[in-house]
Amino acid sequence: MRQSLSAEWLKLRHSRIGIVLAVLPVISLLIGCANYALNREVLTNGWYSLWTQVSLFYGEFFLPILVAIVCAWVCRLEHLNRNWNLVLTAPVPVAAVFMAKWIAASLLILLAQAMFMGLYGIAGLLLALPGPFPAETIGWALRGWYACLSISALQLGLSLRIRSFAVPVGFSLAAVLIGLGLYVAKWGIYFPYSLLTIGMHVLSRDALDPLREALFWTVNAGYGLLFAAWSVRGLKGRDAVTG
Amino acid sequence: MRVLKLEYYKIRRKKIVPMILLLLAAEMLWACMSNSLSISRNPDQAVWASILFMTASLNGLFMPLITAIVISRMCDMEHKGSTWKLLASLHVGRSRLYAAKFGCAGSLLLLAIAVQAAVMAVYGLAQGFPGGLPAAWLLRFIGGTMLATLAAAAIQQWIAMAARNQAFALCLGMLGGFIGLTAPLFPAGVRRWLIWSYYLDLAPVTYRYAESAGTFAAQPWDGRIAAAALGTAFLCFIFGNLHVARKEI
Repeated sequence: MRQSLSAEWLKLRHSRIGIVLAVLPVISLLIGCANYALNREVLTNGWYSLWTQVSLFYGEFFLPILVAIVCAWVCRLEHLNRNWNLVLTAPVPVAAVFMAKWIAASLLILLAQAMFMGLYGIAGLLLALPGPFPAETIGWALRGWYACLSISALQLGLSLRIRSFAVPVGFSLAAVLIGLGLYVAKWGIYFPYSLLTIGMHVLSRDALDPLREALFWTVNAGYGLLFAAWSVRGLKGRDAVTG
Repeated sequence: MRVLKLEYYKIRRKKIVPMILLLLAAEMLWACMSNSLSISRNPDQAVWASILFMTASLNGLFMPLITAIVISRMCDMEHKGSTWKLLASLHVGRSRLYAAKFGCAGSLLLLAIAVQAAVMAVYGLAQGFPGGLPAAWLLRFIGGTMLATLAAAAIQQWIAMAARNQAFALCLGMLGGFIGLTAPLFPAGVRRWLIWSYYLDLAPVTYRYAESAGTFAAQPWDGRIAAAALGTAFLCFIFGNLHVARKEI
């Protein structure tokens, strides 16, 4: 497992994925802050108002797409040349190959979330927002990351199966919309892409009631395990396509 | 013409058209549902302008991403199979191959926009919007959206052909979608510089905000924005073509 993980880091080294990870949080922050600064007389809730502006489009639309891009990225090298033959004949369990990719993708997304939060804090200080930095937003970002775990397990499963880089990203876009529809219909707690909206408190600041809170954690964990099992099964059972 | 035909031949089993239709279905479902919701709250919204404006707004998010996905798929197959080198060794100029790819992608995206117009027409007639089918508005919608899409497509194809890793092309598509979605928040002077905001600027209708409420209004055709879109498409196509044609494979 450790060997698989170090192999993943080796593959990611010098891959310039950092640019992709940095661009979106930075642009989201810039546009969110500009909108906040232009509408300060209406947005009177300080740090929380800034959160609504910077996290709305990022959490709702672009973080799931970023997850899809990261997952496609960590599977990209295997789809080139005859690398699947090489990976699947290596003396490591197939599950370890998947787990290493899942951990690598999760850490990259955590990095993006950390950068987003760091930029949010800096933006708040530069805008001279009243009051201290709201610690609960860190919890929201971490819950968003937790929701990303099940999404990344699903996206990895797709990216492992589909050779095209773009198709899993298109799937993510469609799933985001379905997730938004289910969130509006109050069914969001049962769909992984809506769980991200709920976890990051993108559309509502209200705390979840204990039942929904428990559902958030368990449904997400359930989806994560289910998608991970599906992905590993796919790797074990399907013939590798190389070329 | 034969080169263009071969582009269609290459993608015949790539399921690109079903994928476009799937994404469009999601977009149009969203547009129609939110429009129906607005009408149920405010019956004054039952006009053709409402669905046209809603679709143009959503296009700011969707069309850059759909464009990125379609073009990335068409270019990625050349990178993955190392077929670009094979094609370059044929008696066909690389510039013609590049143009054929652009033409093929452009035709698929035009089909997508035409489908959107057809869905809006069916939805509007089913809702019984007053005034009959606004053919002129629908044609302007197709023309304006296509101009903005061509500009986005030219940039996408340049990136997708120049960089083997399609993450950069898709990241650009995602950024375009982000800018397209947030475009109404920018001042007009800033929007001029962002081609992804042209989906709204070239739409036949706009939404004017008054003190307490807003109204839909016809938006006159802005020749300068149309020329800017066409110019961007032309320049990016030419520079992309030159860059890719001269690049070492």
